[in-house]
Amino acid sequence: MSKITQRCLIAGLVVAASILQGCVNATVDEMTFLEPTEGIGDASVVIMGRRHAPDYETEFDFIECIGDHIRRGDNSISVLHELEFINMMYPWFEPRTAPLRTDDIDKLLAQQRVADRFEELKLEYMIWIDGSTVETNSSGSMTCGVGPGGAGCFGFGTWGNASDYEATIWDFTDEIEVGRISANTSGQSYMPAVVVPIPIIAPVQGTACDSLGDQLLKYLSAKM
Amino acid sequence: MVARLLDLITSGLNKYQRVLGALGVSLILTACGAREVVVQGNFPKPLMDPLPLTVGVIYTDEFAQHEIFDEAAGRAESDWLVKTGDAQVEFWNTLLNGMFEGVVLIKDSQSLAAHQNSVDAVIIPAVADLQYTIPLHTNIKIYEIWMKYRFKMVALENVHSNEDGDLSINPDQYFADWTLTAYGKTPTAFLQSDEEAVNLAAVVALRDAGANFATSFTRVPDIATWMTEEIQPLPSEATENKGASDE
Repeated sequence: MSKITQRCLIAGLVVAASILQGCVNATVDEMTFLEPTEGIGDASVVIMGRRHAPDYETEFDFIECIGDHIRRGDNSISVLHELEFINMMYPWFEPRTAPLRTDDIDKLLAQQRVADRFEELKLEYMIWIDGSTVETNSSGSMTCGVGPGGAGCFGFGTWGNASDYEATIWDFTDEIEVGRISANTSGQSYMPAVVVPIPIIAPVQGTACDSLGDQLLKYLSAKM
Repeated sequence: MVARLLDLITSGLNKYQRVLGALGVSLILTACGAREVVVQGNFPKPLMDPLPLTVGVIYTDEFAQHEIFDEAAGRAESDWLVKTGDAQVEFWNTLLNGMFEGVVLIKDSQSLAAHQNSVDAVIIPAVADLQYTIPLHTNIKIYEIWMKYRFKMVALENVHSNEDGDLSINPDQYFADWTLTAYGKTPTAFLQSDEEAVNLAAVVALRDAGANFATSFTRVPDIATWMTEEIQPLPSEATENKGASDE
């Protein structure tokens, strides 16, 4: 095989790898009420992950992904940055102290400085995301080698991922829960390798983010 | 002797091979050496109404230089040295300054004398225990740090200065002595080293300790008793009580 043919083959494989994606199954359930028909105006919303369980925690980047999705969909919605909000409100939103029920909001507001901060932020909705993405299975094997003539891999690997997230929407002004949206996604990723490994990744978490983000955007935005 | 032996071994190699060899040797040596984490983080000031008290704080040397050394159990593992002292002092300074109207550092006989009439009580924190786990130990993709603190409080007049300038307290004179635990965990992440993850878990544990301390301080029975004696009722509370007694 000439060098040019070899390079074309490698370039083709790289392009194919960037285009190919694994399949993802997604199920979204929604139960919302008291939708803000004219949007949330100049009020703000914060999206936070639940992190009090011992065996998992909702990923920070997943929360950021949903926030970005909402901002992209409607830039009039002010979504507060999760970490900045947690630091601003320390120690009231740590895993140990974060409110678990809407009844706990009153206890928070009993602290004058906390109440003042909420007013300053014009916080209207607090959205809690609970869940995580896990690897469900993996199999296959791959061998890579380096020699004087070049390097390459040979083999096949596959693994599955599953995401299970639930968003709970709290209306902060009325101190009530106004909706729950859940997204379950799963998919299988593959990585065949003949000289160059070609990852065919199933965007399981990304699909969950888009699914939840779309529903939340529909709820919060006046444009949808 | 060793230098001559190395010269002998490397004399037949060119410059690049020597560099590669040196890199290889250094990688092997790094793998065998102790893993060190000097805990660092940014700690926010607590958002709370400060208690109308001025407290003194004594950071013992043991606390301010706190570290844990864990010797490797086998060849596949490394020794670990986790230094939390600087971060502890930085964190508790930030937290206490947000929790109380006044905080003064009592470090020697001079500062003890200077604050004789301005401090309501002195608080002395100590790390009673610290444990950590990494995925290598547990096969779970989580780094964890668990800490147990012991806090003691004493009236300033019961803190004495020795001839050498050190501070001493009679153990019988503490009016409050309690423990609290803190836990921090961080999951494994792409491109995150063990050291970074242990540091992050330690920062989460410190924040948890602060959250636990800030929300439980006034509920510690000895502290609650002391505070009812120490803090005069606020004017609004006094009026309410008066109204109730009038009825």
